[in-house]
Amino acid sequence: MPPNINSTLPLLLLFLLFTLHLSSVSAWKKEEFRTCNQTPFCKRARSRKPHSSSLFATDVAILDGALTANLRQPPPESPDQDQIKPLLFTLSVYQNGVVRVKIDEDPSLDPPKKRFEVPDVILPEFESTKLWLQRFQTETVDGDSGPSSVVYVADGYEAVLRHNPFEVYVREKQGKRRVLSLNSHGLFDFEQLRVKQEGDDWEERFKGHTDVRPYGPQSISFDVSFFDADFVYGIPEHASSFALRPTRGPGVDDSEPYRLFNLDVFEYIHDSPFGLYGSIPFMLGHGKARGTSGFFWLNAAEMQIDVLGSGWDAESGILLPESGSRIDTFWMSEAGIVDTFFFIGPGPKDVVRQYTSVTGMPAMPQLFSTAHHQCRWNYRDEEDVENVDSKFDEHDIPYDVLWLDIDHTDGKRYFTWDRVLFPNPEQMQNKLAAKGRHMVTIVDPHIRRDESFHLHKEATSKGYYVKDATGKDYDGWCWPGSSSYPDMLNPEIRSWWSEKFSLKNYVGSTPWLYIWNDMNEPSVFNGPEVTMPRDALHYGGVEHRELHNAYGYYFHMATSDGLVKRGDGKDRPFVLSRAFFPGSQRHGAIWTGDNTADWDQLRVSVPMILTLGLTGMTFSGADVGGYFGNPEMELLVRWYQLGAYYPFFRAHAHQDTKRREPWLFGERNMELMRDAIHTRYALLPYFYTLFREANTSGVPVMRPLWMEFPSDKATFSNDEAFMVGNSLLVQGIYTERAKYASVYLPGGQSWYDLRTGIIYKGGTTHKLEVSEETIPAFHRAGTIIPRKDRYRRSSTLMANDPYTLVIALNSSHAAEGELYIDNGKSFEFKQGAYIHRHFVFSDAEDSERWPPITSWFSRLEKPHPYN
Amino acid sequence: MKIYIVIHNLFLILGVLFISQIGRSASKSLLSTNPFLGIAPQDENYYKTSSEIFKCKDGSKKLNRAQVNDDFCDCPDASDEPGTSACPGGKFYCRNAGHVPLLLFSSRVNDGICDCCDGSDEYDGKVKCPNTCWEAGKVARDKLKKKIVTYKEGVTLRKQQIEQAKLAIAKEEEELSKLKSEEKILKGLVQQLKDRKEQIEKAEEKERLQKEEEEKKRREAEEEANKEKSKAEKEANQEKNEVKEQVGSEEEPMESTHDDKIGVLDQDVEEDKSNSVAEVEHTDKSENASPTDGIEQHAAEGKEESPVVHETDLHAGNEVSPTSDQATKQENDVAENTEGLSREELGRLVASRWTGENTGQHTEEVDAVKHDHHESHEETPEDTHAEEYDGYASETDDDSQRYDNDDMEDPVDEDFGEDDHYDSSPPYKSDTEDESDFSDITSTSNPSWLEKIQQTVRNILNAVNLFQTPVDKSEAAHIRKEYDESSAKLSKMQSRISSLTQKLKHDFGPEKEFYSFYDQCFESKENKYVYKLCPFKQASQEEGHSTTRLGRWDKFEDSYRTMLFSNGEKCWNGPDRSLKVKLRCGLKNEVTDVDEPSRCEYVALLSTPALCLEEKLKELQQKLELMNQEQPQGRDEL
Repeated sequence: MPPNINSTLPLLLLFLLFTLHLSSVSAWKKEEFRTCNQTPFCKRARSRKPHSSSLFATDVAILDGALTANLRQPPPESPDQDQIKPLLFTLSVYQNGVVRVKIDEDPSLDPPKKRFEVPDVILPEFESTKLWLQRFQTETVDGDSGPSSVVYVADGYEAVLRHNPFEVYVREKQGKRRVLSLNSHGLFDFEQLRVKQEGDDWEERFKGHTDVRPYGPQSISFDVSFFDADFVYGIPEHASSFALRPTRGPGVDDSEPYRLFNLDVFEYIHDSPFGLYGSIPFMLGHGKARGTSGFFWLNAAEMQIDVLGSGWDAESGILLPESGSRIDTFWMSEAGIVDTFFFIGPGPKDVVRQYTSVTGMPAMPQLFSTAHHQCRWNYRDEEDVENVDSKFDEHDIPYDVLWLDIDHTDGKRYFTWDRVLFPNPEQMQNKLAAKGRHMVTIVDPHIRRDESFHLHKEATSKGYYVKDATGKDYDGWCWPGSSSYPDMLNPEIRSWWSEKFSLKNYVGSTPWLYIWNDMNEPSVFNGPEVTMPRDALHYGGVEHRELHNAYGYYFHMATSDGLVKRGDGKDRPFVLSRAFFPGSQRHGAIWTGDNTADWDQLRVSVPMILTLGLTGMTFSGADVGGYFGNPEMELLVRWYQLGAYYPFFRAHAHQDTKRREPWLFGERNMELMRDAIHTRYALLPYFYTLFREANTSGVPVMRPLWMEFPSDKATFSNDEAFMVGNSLLVQGIYTERAKYASVYLPGGQSWYDLRTGIIYKGGTTHKLEVSEETIPAFHRAGTIIPRKDRYRRSSTLMANDPYTLVIALNSSHAAEGELYIDNGKSFEFKQGAYIHRHFVFSDAEDSERWPPITSWFSRLEKPHPYN
Repeated sequence: MKIYIVIHNLFLILGVLFISQIGRSASKSLLSTNPFLGIAPQDENYYKTSSEIFKCKDGSKKLNRAQVNDDFCDCPDASDEPGTSACPGGKFYCRNAGHVPLLLFSSRVNDGICDCCDGSDEYDGKVKCPNTCWEAGKVARDKLKKKIVTYKEGVTLRKQQIEQAKLAIAKEEEELSKLKSEEKILKGLVQQLKDRKEQIEKAEEKERLQKEEEEKKRREAEEEANKEKSKAEKEANQEKNEVKEQVGSEEEPMESTHDDKIGVLDQDVEEDKSNSVAEVEHTDKSENASPTDGIEQHAAEGKEESPVVHETDLHAGNEVSPTSDQATKQENDVAENTEGLSREELGRLVASRWTGENTGQHTEEVDAVKHDHHESHEETPEDTHAEEYDGYASETDDDSQRYDNDDMEDPVDEDFGEDDHYDSSPPYKSDTEDESDFSDITSTSNPSWLEKIQQTVRNILNAVNLFQTPVDKSEAAHIRKEYDESSAKLSKMQSRISSLTQKLKHDFGPEKEFYSFYDQCFESKENKYVYKLCPFKQASQEEGHSTTRLGRWDKFEDSYRTMLFSNGEKCWNGPDRSLKVKLRCGLKNEVTDVDEPSRCEYVALLSTPALCLEEKLKELQQKLELMNQEQPQGRDEL
């Protein structure tokens, strides 16, 4: 024995050293978070076999303008098994191609508890677009023994409820081609609430945390198929590729499903289906053959979504009829109800319009917030602020907003100031405001449990905190130490919270101060998976598990409402949030959280932001420079060059990093970063116009190429390049010392290099030389981009500067573009106080038609010799 | 043919939102009354041509005269728009009569903010900028005058310091060369003494051996008789030793007390573990009081999830062979280790990832976990410190020895503790030992000491008869004493030589103006910290009794306007600490404004006469003259 031991011990040590080393390379604490296998509902659902659902629909009828039915199961074979109660099925149809399918327990059958339906997400006005169904038709499909019920959806589209086996789908009327379907593979499962019986052990333990689960298992899962889709997209937030990769099926080894569970993840890695800070259970399928469709499940519990690789169900033996390319997906949620929306498209922009008609259009931001933001944890005191501010001017670098992180407060009590570091906060803000600049302070949801802190006293006495499973105020740990969390689900508490932002209540604030909501997943340092226990209790007896993913959303909403109130309804709010949920786009911006200063994370910021844009959250960005770690100079420059095109453009850094303001890296690098920032400022009129487009149509500012070129297959999985609006294509540079870049320029029209005006042919991949000066960016022929080419200290100071229109003619000598202008600040645009011009340039030789309104132009430059 | 058209300056005439562009015509009119707005005097001639053609300064374009300052950028070098904001990268000149002229970025022109004190940058009528140049100028002039006074005095002080430094350096160089030659002689003497000593010792040894031989013979006779007796003694000794060993082995288990966890996991392995395992166990510390908890739990979870064995299902590892099981377990412990923690400890631990703050004030166990988590392969900060320190000390130069002393606080505290004038207390000498200690050998005033020694040695060498037996005991002692004293003196001398050499090797500036810094330290108190800067040596931050080294002397930078201390103690999750000291002219050596703009990168300001340069004084005087000339007509400063 001894010789044996002698040989194993060094090995063991070696192994230890190795793992120690590994863990320092990737600081992501993977083992702190649950895998699907460690999550019982996910594990149960994933082990289900296709066609194991035996549900069938009965009692199909039209009720209140909707198609309703009961979903039943055959009686159990042995009397010991529970007879499952019938589920209520409702299918309603809304204008513009939206089908809503709800499935819940029947309240008349006395369930132990009402299952949670997420309130205040769906727009009230959406309800008014409901089509009042009068009748349904019956037909027999696919050689079924039973009938199917068919209702009208939109011109050319129908929704079908197949009674037995239960299945719902939307199809084209002509040719009956399916678009989207639910339960085609019979994976539907709905765990009904039960009363706890003797011997039921429902508790779950993870890492020393116990979840008492007083209502037992209550998860829901089902399959959704996207027909004629080459790829599926959406379901943020994950750091992964834009086109979602299969997580199950042949050739996929042991992958986790895409997880949707809002978590504060320390040093997340750049390629993982692991859930990050926000969740939007909205997926889009897109294919060359038909176009785009979308599926949205309104549910705020933990969700896990599998993208099933083709052939995943080969073993089941029952294959769906071939229908070109089809992508199957599998959706699992821990709790809640089925409240799902089918969007028929058919174009990509139609789907986002349909989705935002349900959850709301992105808010129109203030102009200043679309400009350049400067942040750091921390700008420590007033002197530091003044210094940084003046350095921007010294180097003629415009910026609009300076941010203060947690340490500006008195002991992490938000709404307070460290009066040693910030003795005169109003004066400090006013000084910046004199240059048209703004400030942002951080306000997080954890409230310091400190008897002398008025906010805590008030929240305690009013009973406004989230409760733990025993009904006491939940006490968690965050920045201030022991903390509690206001229950933002309750509208009364949200209203109380929003009052705290008035100039009177928030001492030291000014009208130029805006807000940053961090840690609102919520982050709880000593909670399971660094968040709140699932059995914590909210308003109305709702368990945290049921609304977890929406907590940050309600917090964001309450804060944003606070700023509206502060400004007497006249000042558009600006609130940046880290957590998000469907509907967050109505309340402000979000960013991709604590990224890292490396090339991979620069690269993944593009698919992340593209995904957010597709799912409504267009006002989003990644920390320029990378939050953790020190970027090399080249990386920092490249990040500014890319970040200048993010819808939300903010530089930020962790407190352990070196200072990295643009002037700290030598004259040349400063110039390069300043150039990038100048580009953003020049394009502000274009960006602002695009924000207005998003505000009216949901179409994102930053778009995937296929949104503009939906039938160009080469663009479908391209997430290195993106469009800003319909006129500008940008390709990031994601490697060190890159000499060349391959850029695919789609479409039949040409593209003009944004800087040089050099013309490139469309529909082909160009191998381009890359300089340090810029990343490749191209102006699409046939479009007009409005600019402002004078750089001021801030966007506010550019208000009176002249516009420049850059017109790139297409092959028929024509171009079109738009310009939207309002006062950049108030809500008066809603009453029509704006200018929105559509420019059409056609046939330059026709002097009678050009220029259209001579008096507008002080100067018309002769055509450039570009050719 | 593809056409690319740029249409500039689209002005929308709008009633609702925008004040119509009145400003524009206003600007034109003002520009027409002053066509040279924004043009620096030295450039005026360039614009004053009567020609109808204007050439961009870089020669790239020819323009119509009317295109100059027409609020439209034509020249790539911005030269056609000196008075407007049309060209990015252009510059606007304001005269600021009564104050100093200013060259602004063109982005400041007509942006609604008064940048020039004469208001000339805002002429489009949107804001009214009063001319504040005279008032601002007066303040600036007064400030400048004060600065000049300081500089004048500083220049004198600086000259004195340079003189003193030159003298001192010359003196030290002289001392050094003298010491070196004396060292040579002394070395010779010591060698002679050493030789002699060895000869004596040899003789003594011989004598001793002889005696031993005799003794041996005598003893052998006795030995036979005592054989029995000695045997008994030997056995007794052996027994004693055994008892000792037993005691030793009983102590061992007590050394490894946090073994229980692994013990539970796998008893067999535990028993066979050698010392190396102890290191492994160290990481287990944090598992704290209830070692079995975690395992029970794992088992429970394992049950519930039985059907699928997932790769990431770490607990499944229980079934694998003992060693890999152990390894997996260890891996877990290293990586997570959080279950045994109290809620508060866990909160602090997770918070510390972002903050890097030490959670240790609360429980040591949490601290241990933290290091496991974050430092992984690194040492705890204390260890790192110690290690660096060792390495440092082993450089074995004299300076490092001295640093050690400085770092040990106590001597420093003795020197400075009694005064509480922390706020930029006056500089003090950093090391006093050198000079006082060497007074006996460096006594240049008394040159005869070496001769005395020489004489003594000669006497000794002559007096001692080498071949005398038995050796004269007192003579031998005398020689030993002389040798010891001389070699002690020699090593002292050598250390002085080395320290002087080290010192003189330093770069004291082009005129040796920083020489006096060598023996000084400067202190400044900021909040709870006291910062101590010892140029050419090191800088530290003290809080109560703990001292953190911010850096060791590195070099001057930025043409002797910055001192750099680098390679300070490593920051957790951050860089090695460093300190940049910016120097500026002042009458006293005084440290102010110590700051930490980035984590562990400190900056400070040191005012010193060494920076009061004569050229700079002249520059300031010229500037003042210029400002006085710029006085608007009819106004008098008094």
